[in-house]
Amino acid sequence: MIWESLKLSLLVVSVATVIVGVIGLALAFLLAKREFRGKELLDAVLTMPLVLPPTVTGYYLIVLLGRRGIVGSYVYDLTGWTIAFTWQGAVIAAVVVALPLMIKASRASIESVNPSYEIASYTLGKSEFETFFRVTLPLAKRGIYAGLVLSFARALGEFGATLMIAGNIPGVTQTMPLAIYEAVAAGDERQAQILALILTMISISAVYLTNKISRSRIYG
Amino acid sequence: MLTVNLKKHFSDNRKSEFQLDVSFSVGNGFTVLTGASGSGKTTTLRLIAGILTPDEGIIKADSQTFYDSSQKINLPIQERRIGFVFQDYALFPHLNAEQNIAYGVKANNRESRDEKAREMLSLFHIEHISRRLPREISGGEQQRVALARALASSPSIVLLDEPLSAVDVETRAELLDEIENAQRQADIPFIYVTHNETEAARLGKYRIRLQNGRVII
Repeated sequence: MIWESLKLSLLVVSVATVIVGVIGLALAFLLAKREFRGKELLDAVLTMPLVLPPTVTGYYLIVLLGRRGIVGSYVYDLTGWTIAFTWQGAVIAAVVVALPLMIKASRASIESVNPSYEIASYTLGKSEFETFFRVTLPLAKRGIYAGLVLSFARALGEFGATLMIAGNIPGVTQTMPLAIYEAVAAGDERQAQILALILTMISISAVYLTNKISRSRIYG
Repeated sequence: MLTVNLKKHFSDNRKSEFQLDVSFSVGNGFTVLTGASGSGKTTTLRLIAGILTPDEGIIKADSQTFYDSSQKINLPIQERRIGFVFQDYALFPHLNAEQNIAYGVKANNRESRDEKAREMLSLFHIEHISRRLPREISGGEQQRVALARALASSPSIVLLDEPLSAVDVETRAELLDEIENAQRQADIPFIYVTHNETEAARLGKYRIRLQNGRVII
């Protein structure tokens, strides 16, 4: 059970972190650099999973993506497949709860880059897109890395939303936090201790790494 | 030849209002734009470069129209080919001197880009700092890198916004020579903003003075 849940957790968290990195960065750019109607509303909606009980987030995911869900029913009719009770469901849950951390950290970091560097880049003939990748991103990278590490840690600890959308199926959707819950419920103290220790170690390393990144030398 | 005729109105929640209304044309030489702080010098440069947009008017460089409110033309900053030297230099902190200079070079391949960057390093006698980051070099050297970077992008006009306000008097005299030299070599319009009268007197073959957003000389 330990090995299986560890393996599954690492798979789910790795895939989720990559997705969070890409989507989170794109959304952070949008929120930091673009003016549009409903911007702050979008920010509020994306932040929701940070403050909502994970079971509520999970419930919305079922309403949206479940077999009879708003989007999920179309997917089921077309393909006969549903994301509920699959490891991909656990990935979706992890992405949704970790995304706000990535967006918050990267947005703040992108906004803190002195705009005169970007203007200088424009005067040197570079497009907004190229400027973002060659100037803004390298200068904002500390916040972006910190956002990634925090998202990784949050995804690893995800329990409530995962349980709602993906269930608790050993070897399929039973990630480490769910395995701990089951071990304790079954009275298997030893399993619970080992799993808790592994999760604690990974989380401490993540926080340590984040602190180290934020204290590393700033340019300029 | 650069022709500028523009208006821009600024208001800050009715607390303060400022109306810029300037009109001048300059040739392929050195033009000094002077005036007290708050007279609209930096704003004028930013409008020419396209960092700010005027309310109305015309900005033309030779036959190219940067901005024309009557024809609804507003060329993006990237297409104006302006070499801008910022007051705080705005050198990219994560790139070394050579990378900063090479950043805006328009070249088809890496070799010709690097060659152009090295050429600029040697023109400003700063080959020895090519691998250093901006925070590792002196104010005078940063200024040279900023100037080299602006010129390396083959601009059609160079705009300098109080470029020597942060360097000491001795370095200032040296840099003024180099800037004049660079203008002679490039043979394009240089507009040099300063509120320092000594500097203005020394450089000013052609001088424009601004007061409260208007040209008075």
